[in-house]
Amino acid sequence: MIRIVSSLFAFAVLLCGWIVYQTANDAQPGTPDVTRAETGDLLNSPAASTAVTYADPTNGGLLPDLSNATIAPVPMQNSAADKILAATNAGATVAPRPAILTDNTTIAQTTAGVLAGLGVQVAAPAPQNPNDPLLQQTQAALSGIQNIRGIAAAPSAPAVPQPGLQSLVAEALKQGQSDAYIDALLNEAAVAGQVSVPQMLVTSDGRVDTAVLLASIVAQATVAAGGQAPAMPDVVGGEGVEVRVVQRADQTEQYRFYTVNPGDSLGSIAVKFFGSVEYYPQIFEANRQILSSPDRIQSGQRLVIPQIG
Amino acid sequence: MMRKSAYSLILATCVAGPLAAQEVGITDTMSKATFTINGQTFTIERNQDQSAQLSGEFTKTSRACPPFCIHPMEAAPGVETVGELEVLDFLKTDVASGKGLLIDARLPDFYANSTIPGAVNVPFSTLDSANPYLGDILQALGAAPIGGGFDFSGAVDLMVFCNGPWCDQGPRAIRHLISAGYPAAKLHYYRGGMQDWLILGLTTIQPASNG
Repeated sequence: MIRIVSSLFAFAVLLCGWIVYQTANDAQPGTPDVTRAETGDLLNSPAASTAVTYADPTNGGLLPDLSNATIAPVPMQNSAADKILAATNAGATVAPRPAILTDNTTIAQTTAGVLAGLGVQVAAPAPQNPNDPLLQQTQAALSGIQNIRGIAAAPSAPAVPQPGLQSLVAEALKQGQSDAYIDALLNEAAVAGQVSVPQMLVTSDGRVDTAVLLASIVAQATVAAGGQAPAMPDVVGGEGVEVRVVQRADQTEQYRFYTVNPGDSLGSIAVKFFGSVEYYPQIFEANRQILSSPDRIQSGQRLVIPQIG
Repeated sequence: MMRKSAYSLILATCVAGPLAAQEVGITDTMSKATFTINGQTFTIERNQDQSAQLSGEFTKTSRACPPFCIHPMEAAPGVETVGELEVLDFLKTDVASGKGLLIDARLPDFYANSTIPGAVNVPFSTLDSANPYLGDILQALGAAPIGGGFDFSGAVDLMVFCNGPWCDQGPRAIRHLISAGYPAAKLHYYRGGMQDWLILGLTTIQPASNG
C-alpha cells in the first residue's frame, strides 16, 4: 500500500515538475521530446546540420548535449526546426526593406560598365585607374567638399560602379539570357549582398528595376552605334499621372503629379516622364520632403514631377 | 593738471588692460573671427608678435614670369574680386551656413602644408573639362545634372584663392568653372591668396592635422 502511495506520490511530483517545467517553457514551441527527436535526426543529416550552424554558429556545438537536456533547462532553446525555418525564411521575413545593397552610382556609369563588358565602346566615363592622380585629387576634393558641407559622404567617391553588377549583367546578356532570368539573377544577387545597385533602380516594393537598367543599356548601345537617343515624351498618361493647369495673370502653368505604383522605381518614373533615367535626381530633389533617399519610394506616394527644360 | 593726466593714464591702463592680449586686431572693431563649419569651430586672428616676419617661400619677390605672372584684378567678367575682410565675412556667413565654400585651388601638397581655416581643397586640375570626374565635383557643389549638362541654380557660392596675385591656379579654376557653366555671379576671387594672408599674420592651419 505504502509502495503504491509513494509511487503515486512520486508520479504526482514528477507530473507537477513536468507541468511547472512546461509552463516555464511555454513560450518555446515544441516539447523537449520533440526537440530531441528532431535534433537527433538533423544531426545525422549533413545538409540540415549545416543549416543549423549557419543559423546560430555559437549554438552549433551545444546541439549534441541536447540529448540529455530534459532535466537541465539551459540548452532548452528554440528547436532546431525553428532555427532552420528562421534561416530559410531570413530573406523574406527578417530583412528590412530595402533588403538590397544600394550605391549612388549613376546609371550611365553602370550601363557603360556593362557595355564595356560586352565590348561596346562608349565615349562617356573613362576606365578608372586607381593610380590616376586626377582621380585621387578628385576623390580628395569630393571628400573635402562632402565633409565641409556635411553631406553624408558616399563610401567611395566618385561613386565607382560595382563591378559585380556590371559583370553579372554583361555575362547574362552575352549568354543571351531572357530579361526575366536577368531580373531574377539580379534580385537574388542583390538580396544576398553580392552586388550593389544604383539607388534609383530600387522599386517601391524593394526590388531591382531590371527593366529600366536593361532599357538604358539598349538605349546607350544604340547611341554608341550612332543611333538616336530616346526623346522626351510629349504627353505622359497612364495610371497615377495627374496634370493640373493653373491659370495666372497671363501665363498658364502646368503641374504634374504622379502616384507611385507597385514596381515603380525613381529610374522608371524618370523614363516615363522624361525619356531617360538621367533625370531621376530632379524628381528626387523636387520630392525631398517625402523621400529620404532615392531608393525609398513607396507605393501610393504622390510625387511632384518638376518642369524640366 | 598733473592729477588729471594721472587719472587719464590710470583710466587708459584700465581700458587697455583687457585689450592688451589682442594688440594686433583685424579691424578696429574686430579682434578675431570665430565661426563653426559643420560642427568644427575655427578662429582666425592675427599673429600677436609685432616683431614677426615671414620666412621661406612667401618672402620671394621675383619668381619667373611666365608662369608666375602678375594677375589682373578681375579673374573673369562678372566674378567679384575680394580682400581679406570679405573672405572672413564669407566664412562666417556663407560657409558657416552651408551656402558657400572657400576653395583652395592649389595642388594637394600645397594645401596640406598650410591653408586658410575652413577652406576645402579643389585643385584647379580637377575642374578642367579634361577631368572625366568633373561632373562628380559639380554635383558635390550642388549642381544638378540635367540630360547632358547641369543646372546650377542650387549650386553653392564659391570663393577661390591660390598662392597670391602671381599665382594662376585660382584664376584658372575660375575659368574652368565658368566654362563648365558655373554662373559668374556665384564665383568670387580672393586675389591676395596665401601671400597676402600670411603677410598680414592671419591664422593658417595644416588641414592634415587639424581636419
